Amino acid sequence: MSHWTPELLSPAGSLEKLKVSVLYGADAVYLGGQKFGLRQASDNFTYEELAEGVEFAHNRGSLVYVVLNSFLHDKDLEELPEFLHLLEELKVDAVIVSDLGVISTIKKHSNLVIHLSTQASCLNVESAKLWQKMGAQRIVLGREVTIKEAAKIKKATGLEIEMFVHGSMCMAFSGNCVISNYTQGRDSNRGGCAHSCRFEYSIDMGLQNDEQKKAYFMSSKDLEGIRLLPEFIEAGIDSLKVEGRNKSHHYAGTISKVYSDALGFYREHGHFLSSDMLSWEDELRKVSHRDYTNGSLDEYAGSDSIYNQREHDDNEFVVSGIVLEACVGKHLLVDVKSAFIPGDTLEVMPFAGATSKLHVEFLKTISGIDIPKSKPGSVVKIPYISGAEKFNIIRKAVNA
Amino acid sequence: MNLITYIESLEELNAFVNAIDENIAKLNYELILGCSELSRYSKTSKDELLTIVNSAVKNNLPITLEWDALNQEEKFQEACAFFDRLPLHDFKAVRLQDPGAVEFVKTKYPWLKIQIILENGNHNFIGLQKWCEYLGEQCERLVLSNELSREMLRDYAALLKTPLEIQAFGRILLFYSPRLLLSPLEKTSMQNSFIEASGSSEESPHSGFPLIENRHGTFMFNVKDLYLLDHLDELSAMGISHARVDLRFDDCCKKYLKSICDLFTGKISDAEMGIKKNPVRPLIKGFYNINKTDVLFTKLKNKRTQRQDLNYVGEIVDVERDAQLALLVKTENLSDITKYDLKLITPEGKEKIVAINWMKSSLGESRMSAQKNDLVLLAYCNGVTVKTQVYLNPKT
Repeated sequence: MSHWTPELLSPAGSLEKLKVSVLYGADAVYLGGQKFGLRQASDNFTYEELAEGVEFAHNRGSLVYVVLNSFLHDKDLEELPEFLHLLEELKVDAVIVSDLGVISTIKKHSNLVIHLSTQASCLNVESAKLWQKMGAQRIVLGREVTIKEAAKIKKATGLEIEMFVHGSMCMAFSGNCVISNYTQGRDSNRGGCAHSCRFEYSIDMGLQNDEQKKAYFMSSKDLEGIRLLPEFIEAGIDSLKVEGRNKSHHYAGTISKVYSDALGFYREHGHFLSSDMLSWEDELRKVSHRDYTNGSLDEYAGSDSIYNQREHDDNEFVVSGIVLEACVGKHLLVDVKSAFIPGDTLEVMPFAGATSKLHVEFLKTISGIDIPKSKPGSVVKIPYISGAEKFNIIRKAVNA
Repeated sequence: MNLITYIESLEELNAFVNAIDENIAKLNYELILGCSELSRYSKTSKDELLTIVNSAVKNNLPITLEWDALNQEEKFQEACAFFDRLPLHDFKAVRLQDPGAVEFVKTKYPWLKIQIILENGNHNFIGLQKWCEYLGEQCERLVLSNELSREMLRDYAALLKTPLEIQAFGRILLFYSPRLLLSPLEKTSMQNSFIEASGSSEESPHSGFPLIENRHGTFMFNVKDLYLLDHLDELSAMGISHARVDLRFDDCCKKYLKSICDLFTGKISDAEMGIKKNPVRPLIKGFYNINKTDVLFTKLKNKRTQRQDLNYVGEIVDVERDAQLALLVKTENLSDITKYDLKLITPEGKEKIVAINWMKSSLGESRMSAQKNDLVLLAYCNGVTVKTQVYLNPKT
């Protein structure tokens, strides 16, 4: 018997990351073209890449949603209809939108399915009803909404409901922060967010003898919702979204794999095991992250949701590379992301199941010359390990 | 030009009545009333609100009710219940920001006029027109975003029949969080309190951002205040009918109420008002002259490392000096390679046209074609680096 679970929706900041997310278990991916999205610094997709990405995902049963969630100005809107026609030609499964002018343009020029972006900060039943009338078929709720409230919104409207389950969070109501606009001259709601909320601030409370307090008071911890999967399922939430189009292949692969494994286990067994939960949480700690919080998923986020630390890397694992070619019985060709040396022990992450240890018995250039150390941005030959496939992520424990 | 301003207490209402006394025939105005349950920044209690409303009604003063807090479902239901208990017939309109509040009022109080606050996003005519169309006769006014330029305002005023309002003076909100971010610094319980502070960061060239925490969350404002009071005639001429003056946050600004009334009746010029001479914070025009907050986007990534679609083959992923280049094929199939040269564009933008002398697999086997995602080896070419983009170039 197969038990119902929500869709797992993973980020695809580039074509390669799309492939990683899909291969590691995402039921759907979301991505941006070169315009109209909120990640101007991401690689994003050209038309050809988009076509390839849609074909790749569809061939593996995954859906593709395209973000058009900038607050567009008139001149931006002029260019939108042509892009909408391309998206229809490619048969993308939905577009993610936050601006009423964009929704109206989409409805006028296409039959694309519309998902309301979290950027619109839809927080309650009445708001969802309004956006439903405007044409939204799915609502990506604001991160401030609890799972219980989301269930009410779903019940009252019949709309598909999507919630964030993992990743970085805006401290502000999404779409309600314009710090970058005024301090950096970059429109945060058209993809230019400068992450000023992650800065340290000296706070003067104006009290007598009150020394200024230094704090990262606007920096939010990262969302981790794996322990709340039973609540998401119980509430009938249709889609669980992972934040992170700007993040690494390692992030896209690991988070997709962990949540996919967890949801797959539930589909088969109808429950979760606490021992598995511990091991999934352990995996989620292996990618770059701030301290984790439940955010507002179970109750409105309180003071313990504030990160209050400088941004820093304290990864347990770093990604060593991506497999470009697995020559059975002979070698792996690896696109190196961080250096390793002969004698190191690496981990190969298969698309499903447990990781395998790989001992680097030799390290060579493609033409077979021994080298003492791999160099990021190069391709190297290392020993083949059974089960390794193209696009597998290879990683290394930082303290190994 | 209609003056729109806020009243937070009976004393302020009386002060306003005194200020307009001699201008009453000339001044067109409207007073926004808020209360702490519905308004983002208001400290006014329900009882105080009702007292102000009674007095305003007795004096025939036009008043509107502000509901601009954003609420999750549970809090939203509380806000709706509170709203239901207010003497709504005493207000000429309600000012709403949350689309949920808009839908609630539209459905339950179809006789109540709505001034819809479109301060975030809504930077295009199609969207503004759609809001007007959706609300129909119930839509009394659009409250426009501070991010719109003079040019955009002029276009919208010419095209939209619905009256338009902009902010002409006051703080610029930068950030609105539902989380309580200041009270944790006090390390004491400050639930439902009102904290004011200022914040500065060494990582930002600006310092002294005003901050507020209250029951609705935390708000950060710009270090400079918006000032467009010297453009009232221009705004009026282009068709903007309402200008909002926000004196709520700084007590020392409240003394300007009388002269602002005089400004709106044309009795004095903005220079005579004195705000400019001695401002609480520096003054700016925001994006009124121009909004070019998208021009820096082109610098956020190297366009030369981005794939161009026409005749694209793939990317160089490894270079062994004097030996070979490793090409990761990213398009469908690479066949009939004898018909083509390759065009190589390096990350620095240098272009090279090279012949395909040979192509091999990683095992050294000679190949005449390659599939998507294959890694193939090509002859070394001086100056070519990793991330060089490769395109087919038909032989002439």
